[in-house]
Amino acid sequence: MNVSELTLLVLRIGFLLLLWMFIFGIVYALRSDLFGQRVRKMKTDAAAPAAAFPASAVPAAVPGPVAAPAAADAFTPPVARASPAGGNSGADGGRATAQNTTRLVITSGPKAGTEFPLGAETITIGRSSDSSLVIRDDYTSTHHARLMLWNDEWMLQDLDSTNGTFLAGSRVTVPTKIPLNATVKIGATSFELRR
Amino acid sequence: MRRLRLPQKLRNLELFLLLIACFINASAVVLVQLGALGELDPTLVLLGAGLSALVITLHIVLRFVARDADPFILPIATVLNGIGIAMIYRIDIADKQGGWESAAVRQTVWSALAIFSAIVVLLVIRNHRVLFRYTYIAGLVGVLLLFLPLVPGLGKEISGARVWISFGNFGTFQPGEIAKIALAVFFAGYLVRNRDSLSMVGKKFLGARFPRFRDLGPILIVWALSMSVIIFQRDLGTALLYFGLFLVMLYLATGRLSWVILGMGLFLGGALLASQTLDYVNGRFTNWLDALNPDVYEAKGGSFQLVQGLFGLAKGGLLGTGWGQGRPEITPVPQSDYIIASLGEELGLAGLFGILALYLLFVARGFRIGFAGQDDFGKLLAVGLAFVVALQCFIVIGGVTRVIPLTGLTTPFLAAGGSSLVANWIIAALLLRLSDTVRNQPRLVV
Repeated sequence: MNVSELTLLVLRIGFLLLLWMFIFGIVYALRSDLFGQRVRKMKTDAAAPAAAFPASAVPAAVPGPVAAPAAADAFTPPVARASPAGGNSGADGGRATAQNTTRLVITSGPKAGTEFPLGAETITIGRSSDSSLVIRDDYTSTHHARLMLWNDEWMLQDLDSTNGTFLAGSRVTVPTKIPLNATVKIGATSFELRR
Repeated sequence: MRRLRLPQKLRNLELFLLLIACFINASAVVLVQLGALGELDPTLVLLGAGLSALVITLHIVLRFVARDADPFILPIATVLNGIGIAMIYRIDIADKQGGWESAAVRQTVWSALAIFSAIVVLLVIRNHRVLFRYTYIAGLVGVLLLFLPLVPGLGKEISGARVWISFGNFGTFQPGEIAKIALAVFFAGYLVRNRDSLSMVGKKFLGARFPRFRDLGPILIVWALSMSVIIFQRDLGTALLYFGLFLVMLYLATGRLSWVILGMGLFLGGALLASQTLDYVNGRFTNWLDALNPDVYEAKGGSFQLVQGLFGLAKGGLLGTGWGQGRPEITPVPQSDYIIASLGEELGLAGLFGILALYLLFVARGFRIGFAGQDDFGKLLAVGLAFVVALQCFIVIGGVTRVIPLTGLTTPFLAAGGSSLVANWIIAALLLRLSDTVRNQPRLVV
């Protein structure tokens, strides 16, 4: 069997193309890792959250990050009503510790009303799919914040996020102890730690 | 907790990429045969099929014991290994070697052994935290392996460097390759235990906080270790590899730039001193700085090999001469230290950059695994293992392309050499294991 020059040339370029297709295949599969998760378009109408959170028809999507502290205040009444301890958010129930805290409840946003149990491990929050709590909206950074146990108390640490993490309406700059039932707000989602 | 369907998705992606990888490997061997022989010879294709079967076995093992492992590491390692075998086979053809004694068959058998050891590692180490318990044993084993070639009767000197041990007729083994894994485990464990004293205290000087004198012990010990490798084993590359590994892990554990400045100063000082006093180091520097000088080129132990490699790369141009159609065999040791020059000649700049991109992806996955990790030991170990591969690539490829002085190290996964293959496949297995344990399943997606 004799192979012509032309066949060899075609095969040579074909091999290089194959190699690069393999590389780009990997990069394409990695795209969410390299460029961040795709942002889901937020619905601006209140229909979706209102259905899940009938107590008050608060708009889920806050127009911008600047409005976040004000929005956190707006969320406080339904939150306080929902919490068994009652009283103002951020002031009641004392600090969240490993003993008295059992779950994390989403109080506003597209998935308002859902909850999951807390163990002893750190909860990472962000847009990346390896976070424990994945929040995919325009305002959340890839690795936004984390909740961790420190000396048996739950601490909230902002991981240098673009739009900030808000605890009871004020921006978190240093790792902060979280009170029970206080509203933590990230992007258009807020949640609380509860008994 | 409801088990998400993500894991099987990852494994299916891996299988898909793996099939492409096996196809790339097979077509490389076929192209070598067409280019160099002009005909197809089924023996090595059969061997290659055996290798593909082993890689698929590893994939099936992953489906059972590490469902959440990273899906990219295995296909990347497979392609690099396969391209290496194809190039070694190509040089065998040029050297008129064939049959069971040829380097390509030997490399294939070693690959099989290496993949088998990767499977064993995955089956035995079910959680990387067990390695943390053996920190100091790993350190001892690493140092012993490193200095094993100096034992009289066991060690063997090849082209000046004394880094091999020989098993009579069976072949030689480079224990330093395995030592790098043991040392990475040791450094990770040691730094997790002791980093507070290395990172907190010290005086501020020129904007950086420098460590106290009494905390300099570890870095000085590792420095002395790598200097003794330069002096007694006459191997510059290995010394740079271990010291660089320690420095990066130290920086990672403490977050202090002063350690890097201090360490680089120490190593540069040591290397400069060595180049003045040790003949072979001095020769390497001359070959590097004055490679194209005819006197240096003609001299015994001169820059002949380096310049031949550069000529080969130049001949390859943008798209290369094609598999089997260049003359890479003119360069000395074209299948081990100079495999990058051989590949550059036959695959050209496009192929060489493809190979570098594969290394980049491999190392980036390692860093990503470390970044996603929840425990400090796992983080340090993953980044350390990935960095050792990256540094080794830099030392070898930088040496061949005349960026740094040439030192003899193997190109990970590509170059002919059993010990290197075994070590790198074990690194791949450890990264797979780490990525399985650290991958965080989302509790809730909003």
